[in-house]
Amino acid sequence: MAAPTKTSSAFPSPYEIQTPPGCEGWEEMYPYYTLFDESRREADEARFWFWNSMHFPVPMPAFDVACIDSPYQAVGEWQNRFFAVPPAMGIDYRIVNGYVYISGNPVTDPEKIGERVGFFQRRAGYYFEHWEELYAGWKKKMEALIAEITELPVPELPEYEPDEVMLEDDRNTAFYEVLASYDRTLRCGDLMWQHHFELLLLGYGAYVTFSDFCKTSLPDIPDQHIAQMVAGIDVLLFKPSAELRRLAKLAIDSGVDGVFVEGRSPAEIDAELERSDAGKAWLAELERIKDPWFNMATGDGLYHYYGSWYDDPTIPYASIVGHVRALNDGEEAERPSEEIARERDRLASEYGALLDEDTRRTFDELLGLSRMVFPYVEEHKFYCDYWFLTRWWNKVREFGALLARHGFLEDTEDVFQLGRHEVAQALDELLLTWATGGAPLGPRHWPPIVARRKELLERLARWTPPPAIGTTPEAITDPMSIMLWGVTTQRVQEWASAEDGGGRLTGAAASPGVVEGTARVVIDVEEIAAVRDGDVLVCPITSPAWAPIFSSVKAVVTDIGGVMSHAAIVCREYGLPAVVGTGRATATIQTGQTIRVDGSDGVVTILD
Amino acid sequence: MPDRSTRPLAELRRSDAPEYGGKSANLGDMLAAGIPVPPGFAVGAHAFRLFVAETGLRGTVESALGRVAKDDVEAAGAASKTIAEAMRFAPLPLLVRDEVAERYDELGEPSVAVRSSALGEDSHDATFAGQQESFLWIRGVEQLLDAVRDCWVSLYTTRAIMYRAGLGGGVAEAAMGVTVQQMVDAVVSGVMFTCNPVSGDPSMVAVNASWGLGIAVVGGETTPDDFLVSKVTGEVVRRTVSTKEIEYVPDAAARGTVRLEVPAERQGQPCLDEEHLSALVEAGRNVERHFGSHQDIEWALERGSPLPGSLHVLQSRPVTTMKPKTPKLSESALSLVMGTFGASPQTDPEP
Repeated sequence: MAAPTKTSSAFPSPYEIQTPPGCEGWEEMYPYYTLFDESRREADEARFWFWNSMHFPVPMPAFDVACIDSPYQAVGEWQNRFFAVPPAMGIDYRIVNGYVYISGNPVTDPEKIGERVGFFQRRAGYYFEHWEELYAGWKKKMEALIAEITELPVPELPEYEPDEVMLEDDRNTAFYEVLASYDRTLRCGDLMWQHHFELLLLGYGAYVTFSDFCKTSLPDIPDQHIAQMVAGIDVLLFKPSAELRRLAKLAIDSGVDGVFVEGRSPAEIDAELERSDAGKAWLAELERIKDPWFNMATGDGLYHYYGSWYDDPTIPYASIVGHVRALNDGEEAERPSEEIARERDRLASEYGALLDEDTRRTFDELLGLSRMVFPYVEEHKFYCDYWFLTRWWNKVREFGALLARHGFLEDTEDVFQLGRHEVAQALDELLLTWATGGAPLGPRHWPPIVARRKELLERLARWTPPPAIGTTPEAITDPMSIMLWGVTTQRVQEWASAEDGGGRLTGAAASPGVVEGTARVVIDVEEIAAVRDGDVLVCPITSPAWAPIFSSVKAVVTDIGGVMSHAAIVCREYGLPAVVGTGRATATIQTGQTIRVDGSDGVVTILD
Repeated sequence: MPDRSTRPLAELRRSDAPEYGGKSANLGDMLAAGIPVPPGFAVGAHAFRLFVAETGLRGTVESALGRVAKDDVEAAGAASKTIAEAMRFAPLPLLVRDEVAERYDELGEPSVAVRSSALGEDSHDATFAGQQESFLWIRGVEQLLDAVRDCWVSLYTTRAIMYRAGLGGGVAEAAMGVTVQQMVDAVVSGVMFTCNPVSGDPSMVAVNASWGLGIAVVGGETTPDDFLVSKVTGEVVRRTVSTKEIEYVPDAAARGTVRLEVPAERQGQPCLDEEHLSALVEAGRNVERHFGSHQDIEWALERGSPLPGSLHVLQSRPVTTMKPKTPKLSESALSLVMGTFGASPQTDPEP
């Protein structure tokens, strides 16, 4: 039976979303191409867009749009133009009330898909085959890029250029250096995103395949066991906190742990440590590990709001204080890495032993592949999202400081209220007027814009974006949406039914499968004559006396009973989806209603 | 002694199934493997055959069944009624009476469960054939003998007759064994599968449990507490505690059991703790190892006695509803990864 056709989507049209009061004109913060423009209404309304709350949970400051454009340029490039992932091109995005909605571009032409299969296999195959060396090279590239962004100069504008301009052949003037430096800053960002996605798609793909494989052959395996089997032992990403623990232990061993009192600021702690030799030694050790481990970010996200531990040592110091206390209270026992390694191998071999021989061989192969790619999946975050990005935002701040010094902005941080092209414009005018000695308009032009945008972001933050907009899709097939965002057909249906205002019952998933059909509510066994072929039986409970009707119904929902009750056992024998123990099915559902029974997840949805 | 009709469960092995039925043979096999099954004895098909031969019932059965055509429910109902009435008034052969009484005496004359133990083909589809008679809390020889006969009668329920007519042939030759087993006064009982019966996950033990005797869980009369426990780590990965409104307990006054409302303060309490669950998982894994396949196990915790002695396995059968895994699982790792990206080698470019 076909799913009932809906005249309208369960989700709002992007064109009907109201602007929150006081946020009129928010669109001016963003480039024209980020908007749901009237001229592409027909196409955009027909698509399914979901809120990328994973990467962009709060309204976008104008500059941070660079962290949408660059990654989607890069992911599209690798996915669509390099690897040619057969069913999926890149990901489009739009901004609504400051929030980012995304939608994949599918490849639908079968001939095109066929053409891309060959491409993908060859290139992905090469990457998997040469993974270790490619990843080693990748790390070198990233370290060089991080060094470059760190050292990139943002020159001050002098009253007079120095003699070096005359004495050194390759010495350029300040206006050029500033413009070149800003341009290079943006390009470094682009380059980081290019590197970021080079290995990520395949890395996630291998891990997700192993995870899916585990969930098919071991459907109830907890996610954390899958992660445990794959996880690296000596992972870069865990190093920063491991180092803090080690420093806490060092503080105890060298007798300076008394300094680490809750509520003290990092500066107070440093000042007190400076007073003793042991304290000074401890500080020297801290200094030694800061590079690179203090490049950890204070938050997880693609916004300029997150600095590194260098920028704000409150988090690492608080963490050391916590470790010192826990170690002194004997709460924290060190877990040696050999033990973690043993546990990871024990899990893998015990799970493997539960599988038949063929399945176990594939399991072992996929586990091997996942272990190979997983260091990248974990570590790229440290290199890209934390180490590079925190330095990159700081570089942008240097341009903000330059603009602020010349009155274009009231505060360094205000630079993030301008789009990256607006910053280029402001720099252009600053350099023009600084060079000519003329009067800049910028100091009157930009501050009111900044003030209005700060207000807008504050107001937009109070708005709750719907999880999805546009047209409800029949199924989600885009591998990236599923792999990276976990947006599956089922998830979308859950959103849709929540949007509809309910009609959802949950119970024990007693017999797998999903069907839709007409409900037949039967309270007593005497009424079973009323059951028609193809009905979905909704009843309080069943006993063997009900046996005759199981061959004619297509699913069963009961008020009470567990997965081993009669109804459940019989449904599994007949291959009928069943949800038992819903508590209120006979009270909630009426005969004649169309319902969906999901016996795999234990969910019953009333569709009309 | 070939003409003996009964044997202690502990002496039976799987190879005794043709004479004593699958259930009795299974229980004997488990006892021999050290699985904590309550003791008892089995009545063989020989006793049933003696019964129909000595009492002249064979003729009654044959002529009643002779009138039943395939798919004729009415005729099957009539035949069932005729046979049941004739059997209920027929005396048990003296030899059988004496033997059952003797075994019962050896057991110490406790309260017992009397269950049908289907033979051959029947045993695979016993649920559908309706040969799942159980008489609980039988006390005394007379009740016991009546219960044995009632099990035999269940060979000819309307459903059983229809079922066998559907299979075609051999209707009159049907026979049945009976299992007599010491009752466990269960404070908690239930069912466990040594895999997740819904998802098919072999790394899980799924436990359903409720207060009192197991019939409340098996019959679906109560929504039991539901636990899913990892065999690999022993973690309880899912725990759903239900409101268990009713329980069955032995009837102090007469044969059988009574259905009672569970006192309010116990209804919402979980009926198993971690220690119980780990004992159950261990027992379940032993049974599974013994039979070499996933098992569907009925179990009970005896009132007023501590673990591990309080745990009894009442019966076990192979899980039959497991779907074989998709053949896709034996593909090479790399081609599966390609599949994640919609680029498996088998991808058919045609729509």
